[in-house]
Order: sequence, then structure tokens, then C-alpha cells
Amino acid sequence: MTVLTMRAIGKSFPGVRALDGVSLTVAEGEVVALLGENGAGKSTLMNILAGVFKHYEGEIEIGGRVAHIHSPKDARRHGIAMIHQELNLVPELSIADNIFLGRERAILDRKAMEARTAELLRGLGLDLSPRRLIKQCKIAERQLIEVAKALSQNVRVLVMDEPTSALADAEVRRLYTVIRDLTGHGVAVIYISHRLEELEEIADRVVVLRDGAYIGERSEVDRDELIQMMAGRPLGELFPRADGGGSGEELLKVEGLSVPGEPGSGRTPLREISLSVRAGEIVGVAGLMGAGRSELLESIFGLHRPTAGSMSLGGRPYRPRRPKGAIRRGVALVAEDRKAQSLVLGNTIAFNASLPSLGRFLRFGTVDARREHRAVERQVNELRVKTPGTRFTVGNLSGGNQQKVVLAKWLLTSPSLILMDEPTRGIDVGAKAEIHALMSSLAAGGKGVLVASSELPELLAMCDRILVLCEGRITAEFSREQRPTQEAILEAAMARQKVTTL
Amino acid sequence: MTATTEPPPPAKAPGESRLRRTFSALGAAQAYIGLVLILAVGIATKGEVFLNETNLTNAVGAFASRGILAVGVTLVILTGGIDLSVGSLLGIASMTAAMMLSKYSLEPWQIVPICMVVGGLFGFLNGAGTAWLRIQSFVMTLAMLSVVRGLDRQVSDNVSVGTQIAGPDGKLTPQAEAFQLFGTPGHNLFDRIYYPVLAFVVVCVVFHLILTKTRFGRHVYAVGGNPTAARLSGVNVTAITIAVFTLSGMLAGFAGPIDAAYSASADPQAGQSYELDAIAAAVIGGASLAGGKGTIAGTFVGALILTLLDNVLGLNAVSDNWQLVIKGLIVVVAVVLQRPDLFKFFRGGSRS
Ligand SMILES: Nc1ncnc2c1ncn2[C@@H]1O[C@H](COP(=O)(O)OP(=O)(O)OP(=O)(O)O)[C@@H](O)[C@H]1O
Ligand SMILES: [Mg+2]
Repeated sequence: MTVLTMRAIGKSFPGVRALDGVSLTVAEGEVVALLGENGAGKSTLMNILAGVFKHYEGEIEIGGRVAHIHSPKDARRHGIAMIHQELNLVPELSIADNIFLGRERAILDRKAMEARTAELLRGLGLDLSPRRLIKQCKIAERQLIEVAKALSQNVRVLVMDEPTSALADAEVRRLYTVIRDLTGHGVAVIYISHRLEELEEIADRVVVLRDGAYIGERSEVDRDELIQMMAGRPLGELFPRADGGGSGEELLKVEGLSVPGEPGSGRTPLREISLSVRAGEIVGVAGLMGAGRSELLESIFGLHRPTAGSMSLGGRPYRPRRPKGAIRRGVALVAEDRKAQSLVLGNTIAFNASLPSLGRFLRFGTVDARREHRAVERQVNELRVKTPGTRFTVGNLSGGNQQKVVLAKWLLTSPSLILMDEPTRGIDVGAKAEIHALMSSLAAGGKGVLVASSELPELLAMCDRILVLCEGRITAEFSREQRPTQEAILEAAMARQKVTTL
Repeated sequence: MTATTEPPPPAKAPGESRLRRTFSALGAAQAYIGLVLILAVGIATKGEVFLNETNLTNAVGAFASRGILAVGVTLVILTGGIDLSVGSLLGIASMTAAMMLSKYSLEPWQIVPICMVVGGLFGFLNGAGTAWLRIQSFVMTLAMLSVVRGLDRQVSDNVSVGTQIAGPDGKLTPQAEAFQLFGTPGHNLFDRIYYPVLAFVVVCVVFHLILTKTRFGRHVYAVGGNPTAARLSGVNVTAITIAVFTLSGMLAGFAGPIDAAYSASADPQAGQSYELDAIAAAVIGGASLAGGKGTIAGTFVGALILTLLDNVLGLNAVSDNWQLVIKGLIVVVAVVLQRPDLFKFFRGGSRS
């Protein structure tokens, strides 16, 4: 039975027609996937359903009756819950407080709240105390907490906007179990993801949007056909890296690096890490949630003080005390969380993209705005960022295009070593292929790339070597010639040490 | 938008909306509406008495020292902080100026740099406390407000120090004569130019250029917009924070002698509650206390609004008490008007 009908939905932003006459129906217990390139309008459509926007064109029906949804409260009343693409949790509050935010009793019943929270977290396989503060949780954990929050209320329609973008395989499985359980109880799920292989597994039907318009739908997932529908053109190979490469000079050498953890923030300590990256090489870093992948990249970027070990870059000692020093030596970090760590959301694309490389555009001590804009524009076009101009506010771009702006920003610094933390998170297949091609061409151009990713197929296809981290130490290293399997990597990623020295 | 996607819409040339950009660079449009309204009220009620060069010059002159404070406060607000100590810093700078003049007979060109150093030192302490000790700037500068005011009263023994110093011949000393040019009404530079107005305008222009044209300016906006992203982009957040507080202190030091010359004396209470006028000017001009948003042009207009408001109400013999009430209401109205969603709402547009 049809539970939700959206009819001829349209939405305009200043200068952008984000949606135009899109219709969508969803039946009880059905999982409908929304697919489309970055900026196609998927989040906008779902935001309308969740009452984020007050004004839009078209009509929404729920359970056969017209529903006027113009605020999040209206949406909640109609049993619609949404997990937003950009996470919306209050960092200073505990998990339990966040889950019940806005629905608390006048006099808080902490015991009940925490008990219910613990139950929800267990259902999602999260082993966290309900009292833990959000700011101490990792981004993947936060994503699952958002799921728990949505599940804590009575839902008829659950919208998940890229719920798995920060999750590794095991966590994704767990989420699927939860989704199947929900649909078994008649809940309709609308699922947005850029990982096509996920849709095959979880979706009953795939609806494709392009440029704000409805393109078509399929109940069989045929990869190539879907990509053709999304992009309006056939697409090249997804992982375009030709074998080999990476026999240049040694660029980065890390020896015996140890970095203490931080008890309050849940930061994983690093223990005696040794690795090297050659010019022209792509080195991958694999590991589970909390293995220390981000910490490793951040330490190389000068964010944390090591207690032992040494690094050298281009043959010279390298001891960055802060990011500024790292950037000066030609190191760039595409950070994990673009909203919190990479972008000044209220400012323009040009402002963000040129921030670390402003020195390049100085003339007589002032910023030469013409040169700056030309350079940013070139980079932004090269990465095919979908935007009306370089003066567009970054916060108004779609998620994937924001990620491209972050990449543009670092490419403008002409780095010799690029550290990438989940570079293709939230990026559509087309753009993903572009970013992979970009990584290949960076390597071909003699640069070193060190990339952390929770998508093993990506690492396996792109990297010359893969390092596996577990609990802050390197437990295995595979070269491309060894042809490692996903299983071998996962095994190394779970090779916990019973007795920890240090 | 059409269905063709190849290639994606290219980023348009940066020159496309020059007009809109220039306009937005000049600050919040709503602030100008306020300015026009007040001018209209002034002209309607007082006509010639309001709209003549002498009155307008004196009005701006009376407010200039607070306007200069507002520029410094805007810098701090842009980084997401607040500076409550500028009134006290102005007070101690004006006291320094008066003492340098009366005790040591220093020349004005020696006095101004000394006052700026004094202000800058206290400003630096504000910055150091905020950046190094991680004290919230509201708390740090609140403490500084109190400490500096106490010092000011202590060194002056709670009596005001005059700047009209007579020599043995009974006439003003040459230094005191020159000092008057800083702001005593009726004493002009080169016959025509009233120094406080000039100083205020120059400070605004200089800092407008710094914020819009230099790397430092960009970094100020970045620190206020997202400190983590700024740091990861190689911005020295600590240095920027210390710099804006130091600059704010130096500007207060610069405004001190102007205030002393205007009142012909340095009062131990000089500058009290000026910080509120300065913050109000910045906020009316579109600065957001959350950081990352605001312009000097906006602050300039905000300061002009407060100036002319004082003047118009004074000319119409509105009592001081009501002036305060009206000023407060204006701040609220200005901030509400700056909410873009409000305008969208009236136009029936979208809300995000
Ligand atoms: N608040 C806003 N103001 C202006 N434009 C907006 C706003 N929100 C979205 N847009 C624009 O609307 C279009 C659709 O964006 P939307 O976020 O729905 O894309 P998406 O399909 O979710 O992409 P992604 O896969 O990257 O998340 C984009 O061009 C985007 O720039
Ligand atoms: Mg989206």
C-alpha cells in the first residue's frame, strides 16, 4: 500500500533551480533508493519531505491524505524521520541527551533516557556509554547515533541521506539488518547513497534524478545503465589506475613515530609507525573505525606532537609543529570532516579555495583578486564543481561539490605530498572516477599520495601499497604484486594485540 | 535547468555581478536605509540647523573617538571574539596624553605614538589571555575593563587633568596649542579640516583596505568563520587572535588623545560605556557576534547612524534618558532587519 506520494515537487534557490516537477511514490515496507550526481537535488527533495523548507511547489500525500509539511515539526507529526547528510548533533551534549533532544519530559528522566539509548545503541552494534559526549565520538559513530535518533521515534517513513558514507563494511552490514527489521514492520525507507553496490543489496527500486528532474526508475540494478541515466553519458572505468608506477625517489619517510592519545577526545594513540611514500606512488591506509588512520595523517600534517620517532621529507628532516609548517614543505591534508575541518561554510568558494595558497596571489602585500579568481575558477572547472560561480557560498553547495572545493583548495597549493582522509566520501560515481583519475595523474606527475579510506575496493584498485592499521600500529603491508584480498586486509585490521606495551 | 549535462555549467566569470559585489562590500543595505531615514528626520524637523557643515562636522567629531573604537571592535568581532575593554583603554590613553602634555610638555606627534603603545600593550594582554590561556574574550576583556579603569583612576588620583596648559606668560603653551588641533571644536587643521573627522575616515579606509585586500584580512575572516578549518589551512590562529586584540588596543590608544582634546581634559571616567556604542555601531553595520561576518564599511555606516541619532535627538531637545531608550531600540531593529530570511518571508520566497 502506498504510504507516501510526492507530486510535481519544485524548488528554486537564488540562481539555482534545484528541483523541477519531481514525483515519487513509496509503498509500505519498501526501500526506495534515490540516485543522482552531486547536486542533482536528492537532499533538497528529502529536505522538503522533512520540513526543512517552508516554501516549495507541489504536493505531498501521506497515507492517501494531503499533508501540509512546512516545518520539521509537521514532518515529525506525520511520522517522517530523516538522517541528514550533514550530521546534526550537539557536540557538548551526551548521546542520550542528543537522541531525546526536543522531546524530553519537563523533568528529565535520565535513567529511562539512558536505558533506552543504550538499547538503541546496542541494536546498532555500538559499544558506547549513553553519557559519552558527542564531541568525543568519531564521525562514523556519530553517523550511527543519528540513525539511533531517527529510530527512537515512531516512524512511517525513514529518510537516510548517505547514512553509510563514513561507515566501514561491518557497520554497513549492521545497518542493513536494522533496515530489514524496519521494513518488516511496514516502515518505508528512502535511501540515498553513492555506493551502487549497496543499492543492489538493499534497494527494492532505484529512482534516478538528474539536474533536478526525474529521469526514470528501475527495480533491477544494472550498473552501467544507472550510471548512464545519472550522468547522461556513459562513463569510463571506475578505477582507472594502470598497474605499477611508484619507483621514484623516496619522498616521505616515517620512522618509529609514536603519538600519545588524548583520553578525553577518544583519539587513538599511534605506536611506532614506520612507513615510506615514494614520489609517484599511491599508498593506502586501511583499518577499522578507531584504528588511527586519521591520527596518522594528522600527525604527518603537524597536528599532533609525537613523543618518539622521526620523519624526513624529500631527504631533509621534517618536523612540522603545526599545519602551517607542513603546508610550507608542500604537504596537503584533505581532512575527514569537510564541514568541521575544511570549510568556512558561510564564505565563498574562492575564499575557501585560496585560503592556504594566498601567498601565491600577493602583489605588493595585497591579494590580487583577479589572479586569485582566475586560478580558483580554473581549478574548480577542472574538477567539474557544479556552481553558478566562484563567489557562491560554499555552504549552499551540495555535499559532493563541497568536497570538490576542498580538493581544489589543496591542489592550488601545488603540494608534493597529498594526504587524503576519505577523499571520495559522499561523492557520486562520476566524480569518484574523476577523483581517482586525479589521484593517478598526481602520482604520474611525481607526487606522493597517502590515502586513508574505509572502502577497501577503492584502496585495492588505486594503491601501489596498502598499510593496515589496527589500534594505532601497522599490522600488515601489502604491495600490489601480492594481490591482497579484502579478507587478508580485514584479518590484519582485526589483529588486536592482547598485551599492549608502551 | 535543462536535461543536458555535458559539460556541467562552468563557473561564471568573476566579473558577472560586480555591481552587487561592490554593494555588498559596502556593508548591509539595511544600514543605509537607517542612515537615510535619520537624515530625513533630521532635515524634516530641523532643516537648516541640522543640515549645515558646522553641525554635521561637530556631530561626527563628537562621535569620532567611539567610531575609531568601533573599527577595532569590528576586527575582534570578525574573529568571533568581543572586546569590552576599549572604553577603559581609551580612558587610560586620554589620561596618558594629558599627563604627557602637562607634566613633560611633549609634542603631539610624540604623544600619539606613546598612547598607541600603551593601548596596544593592554590589547596584547587581552589577546594573549584569549589565545594562550584560552580565556573567553568576553571574560578576559571584562577583567581588563575593570583593571585598566582602576589603574586610570589610581594614576590620576581621581581628578581630571586639563589639556589647556598655560605658560608663564599666561597664554597656552605651544604644545597645548598644537594639542587642541586633535579635537577641540573650533580648531581645525589647515583651516578647514576637523581632525577627528579626518582621523575617523582615515582609520576606516585603512582598515577597510586591510580587511579586503590583504592576506591578514582573509585570515581574520577565516578564523571567525571556522577556526579549525583555518588552522588546517595553515592560518596561525593564535597570532591572528593576538593581532586583532592588539590592533583594537592601539586604536583605542589612538582615540584617547582625540577624546582628551575634545573635552579639553582627561577625566578618570573618560570612555566609560563607549565600548557599548562601539559594539552597537559594528552590529548595526551588519557584523555578527558569531564571527566571520561584517565589514568596516558597515561599521562606518553604523557609527554614522549613532552619530546623527545623537545629534538629531539633541537638536530636538529629547532628554538623555529617552536618547538611551531610542538607541537601544535602534540596535534591535537594525539586527532584525539584517535577517535575510525576513525579507524572503515578505517576498514569499524560500526559507532554508
Ligand atoms: N540553501 C541553498 N541555497 C542555494 N542553493 C542550494 C541550497 N541548497 C542546495 N542548493 C543547490 O541545489 C542543488 C541541489 O542540491 P542537493 O543538495 O539537493 O544535491 P544532492 O543531490 O543531495 O547532491 P550530493 O550528492 O552532492 O549530496 C545544488 O546545485 C545546490 O547547489
Ligand atoms: Mg545531498
